[in-house]
Amino acid sequence: MRLRLRWSDTLLSYAFLAPALLLLAVFTFYPLLYGTYLGFTTYDGARFARGLGPEWTGLENFRTLANDPLFVQSLVNSVKYLLVVPVLQVASLGVAVLVNQQLPGMAFFRAAYYVPVVTSVSLAAVMWEWVFHREGTLNWILTALHLTTKEQAFGWLNSEQWAFFAVMLVTFWRGFGYYMVLYLAGLQNIPSELEEAAILDGANAWQRFWQVTVPLMRPTILLCALLSTIAALKVLEEVLVLTNGGPLNSTYTALMYVYAKAFQGFEFNYGLASAAGLVVAAVGLLLSALNFRLLRSDAGGPE
Amino acid sequence: MRRALTTLTAALGIATLSSAAQAQTTVTFWTWYLSPKFDDYIKTTIAAFEKANPGIKVQWFDKQDSMVQDFLAAVNLGNAPDVINLNIDETQKAAQNGFLRAASDLSGRTYLTSTYYPQSITNFSYQGKTYGYPWYGWLNEGVLLYNPDLYQKAGLTRAPRSLTEMFTYARTVKDKTGAYGWVPAMKDPNTASFLGYFHAEGLPIYAADGKAAFNTAAHAALLQKFVDLYKGGYVPEDVVRREAFQIATELYAQNRLAMIIGGPQALTRLKDTNPGLYAKTVVTEAPLGKANVQTGGGMDLVVPAASKHPQEAAKLAAFFTNNANQLAFAKVVPIVPTTLGSRNAAQFKTTGNDPVARATALVGSSGRFINPGFRAPKNSDDLYKNFNDNIEAALRGKKTAQVALNDAVKYWNANMK
Repeated sequence: MRLRLRWSDTLLSYAFLAPALLLLAVFTFYPLLYGTYLGFTTYDGARFARGLGPEWTGLENFRTLANDPLFVQSLVNSVKYLLVVPVLQVASLGVAVLVNQQLPGMAFFRAAYYVPVVTSVSLAAVMWEWVFHREGTLNWILTALHLTTKEQAFGWLNSEQWAFFAVMLVTFWRGFGYYMVLYLAGLQNIPSELEEAAILDGANAWQRFWQVTVPLMRPTILLCALLSTIAALKVLEEVLVLTNGGPLNSTYTALMYVYAKAFQGFEFNYGLASAAGLVVAAVGLLLSALNFRLLRSDAGGPE
Repeated sequence: MRRALTTLTAALGIATLSSAAQAQTTVTFWTWYLSPKFDDYIKTTIAAFEKANPGIKVQWFDKQDSMVQDFLAAVNLGNAPDVINLNIDETQKAAQNGFLRAASDLSGRTYLTSTYYPQSITNFSYQGKTYGYPWYGWLNEGVLLYNPDLYQKAGLTRAPRSLTEMFTYARTVKDKTGAYGWVPAMKDPNTASFLGYFHAEGLPIYAADGKAAFNTAAHAALLQKFVDLYKGGYVPEDVVRREAFQIATELYAQNRLAMIIGGPQALTRLKDTNPGLYAKTVVTEAPLGKANVQTGGGMDLVVPAASKHPQEAAKLAAFFTNNANQLAFAKVVPIVPTTLGSRNAAQFKTTGNDPVARATALVGSSGRFINPGFRAPKNSDDLYKNFNDNIEAALRGKKTAQVALNDAVKYWNANMK
């Protein structure tokens, strides 16, 4: 029997969709399109103050970006920052499996791991300053374990070699609980019968994890991998408050560049900042496509 | 008859009241980092202004980190504030980009020159016009505070009298006590603090044609002295990452720093964090560089070009920054007033044993010396970043002092707008 769709039903459907579409149009689609347009224009403080709108300059901003060593370095740093993604995903999935056990006190651990997610970045920065300082907790621990001497201690955030990893650790610490909760939700959606059947078949814990849990968790893994890739690519807050991009721009990320160009001072350059934002978005899209390619069902998992 | 008269009187009263209400103008006033600590002072001054100007109502907001972004957003939305509080650098940038109305047009040059120090007016002037009503300021070399116990331990008997002695003292204190001697502002974020040392030592920042010129052998030699100090471990390594004044006040309060050069404001925090050290801190004159000039910074009140009530805004800015109100503010917090009248103010002549009072007496009437030493270029954020990156490269041994300065000058002259 062919279902006849009445005009009033169609209208009603769109009426229900309208508020959400309107919000999306105002807060997502319009800024996206306008930002893309700005990337091809000159629009800075001097024009803004004179009441002049953006001036179309084509690819000029992109040429400027290509010739700006700071932008190139910031983009390289942002891509390097993606190193945190696999570590973050493996660790949060592993801990999610652990806290998914029905053991006493697990509720406490679940909550404790989530605390950093809701901790303000400025508070976290103060705390991690104490950890990474020359006379801070990390050096104290290393000295106590006889891994280094007191004379070898250095400020981790002041080191060109280590500041990058120090900030990355803070990103890991802040994001870990968030992904753990997502994985936990995914794990709790796996029917217990499958696990029980695997036990009856004689599978050990490790085999159950690889043969049952991981395949069924593939959609969640894809989601978390995508989210954390995008988050790592646009890391800003922790870098801004911990190192301000230093030492010697070793932690200066692409979003810091966008932020500096768009929001610092009265000579802001919305055009250049938008162009830089477009480049970051393009890299993000590329990496998201790669994530899909690697983690989609055709790689062996369920849809 | 009586009833008719009553009705008429009431009608007239209502008409008068409604016309007064219609005539009232609301002026929006943004300050920067003054709330909640100075709420009482700001509110009292606003109340006094409203009493003196019944037709004007003031709506006050204190802005912090996002002041400039909020301002740009407000301009974009057609809702610009009428008076805002900026510093010298930001005023220069805002004026260069056309965001401000000239105070010299609104209140007249005569008013400005008869109220404020000439140098304070110069600080906020650009291309022959003055854009800000000078408010409170501070001196970089205003006072020197020192910890007498650390001095004694290091075998020092008096305060240093020159930059050369500052270097020697920094080494002596560290070698003999383990504490730092001094935290110089070598790379403060979002400024070009090191340029201040060039100015203090009489070395030019710009050439006569306006091009950057801070790369002579003398400039490089001065930078090299700081590089040696840093590489020798005589300066906390955090100075390449954090504001020097912040580090200095923290370390001093922990008895891990012997000297702070700055304003009395360094003492206000110490009073709370380490009252014992506060009581014995010695306050004395800070050494001036070879140029024998004071450097410093300051705040002003400006009227944006997008203000809808510029005349009323100018009245408020002038009121807040007049001599009486600046002196009243100086009683609340040790700021340096910028009015001509403050030079002979009695409140800066009385001293006591209290370190803040002594420091205030030393610098309170020195507003005429407030001079940043260099004018911010139009695209200063880009240029300052490049300058600071080069200073850091020299401090970390990635470039020689001369190469670092050459690179910075080359970048400035290629990109200065």
